[in-house]
Amino acid sequence: MTETNLQTRDADAEPQLAHAPTHSADGVDLTLIGWMLSLTPAERLQVLQQAVRSLQRLRNDQADY
Amino acid sequence: MTKPTINYLEILKTLRRHKVDFIVVGGVCAVLHGAPLAAFDLDVVHSRETGNLTRLWMSFRPLGAHYRIPARQTEIPGLSELASTGHHLLMTRFGPLDLLGAIGKGRDYDQLRNESVEMQVGTGLVVRVATLECLIKTKEESGLEIDQAALPVLRRVSEEKSKSSDF
Repeated sequence: MTETNLQTRDADAEPQLAHAPTHSADGVDLTLIGWMLSLTPAERLQVLQQAVRSLQRLRNDQADY
Repeated sequence: MTKPTINYLEILKTLRRHKVDFIVVGGVCAVLHGAPLAAFDLDVVHSRETGNLTRLWMSFRPLGAHYRIPARQTEIPGLSELASTGHHLLMTRFGPLDLLGAIGKGRDYDQLRNESVEMQVGTGLVVRVATLECLIKTKEESGLEIDQAALPVLRRVSEEKSKSSDF
């Protein structure tokens, strides 16, 4: 593939990404939903557990002060 | 109260190991469907069939389960309590677990089963989870502010999912 072709392909793709809304009208972050939907249910559960654990750690660290 | 390390996967594994029939609902269900929300407890609707209640009760010891409410912190629910449509808010060694006899407008395990799907949530671990549509409907039925707050995210997840399934 030539450099020109690559540029053409990127140029075609970019406007779609640029115009994709990041939030719905009611303020929901669609990029987070897109990311979560790209994961399997097992991976989503891991993400949740990691998120909750890191919040727990933050709370515990706060309590130490 | 002890500070357990939250591990929903271990709770689910323990329930399955004891062959407990249940359906995951609430925040963890929302996350399994792709909602970017945090859930600090695992909500399940259990089958109130007699044999299942015994299996559920047997899982309490390995889970280290006990009531969360201060007045009953040394107690676990009895079989007759588990047979009701009531809610039992427990703490386990792997985090909070809510056992729900029924949710919304009296939806129990038997009713929810037709509105649930099986999902693989770990290696060799398949659990039954309420459908996203069922979760939305249940939250719409509930008059609770906390349920209403999650609805915009759940509705957008449903929309995004239907868009991607159009292709």
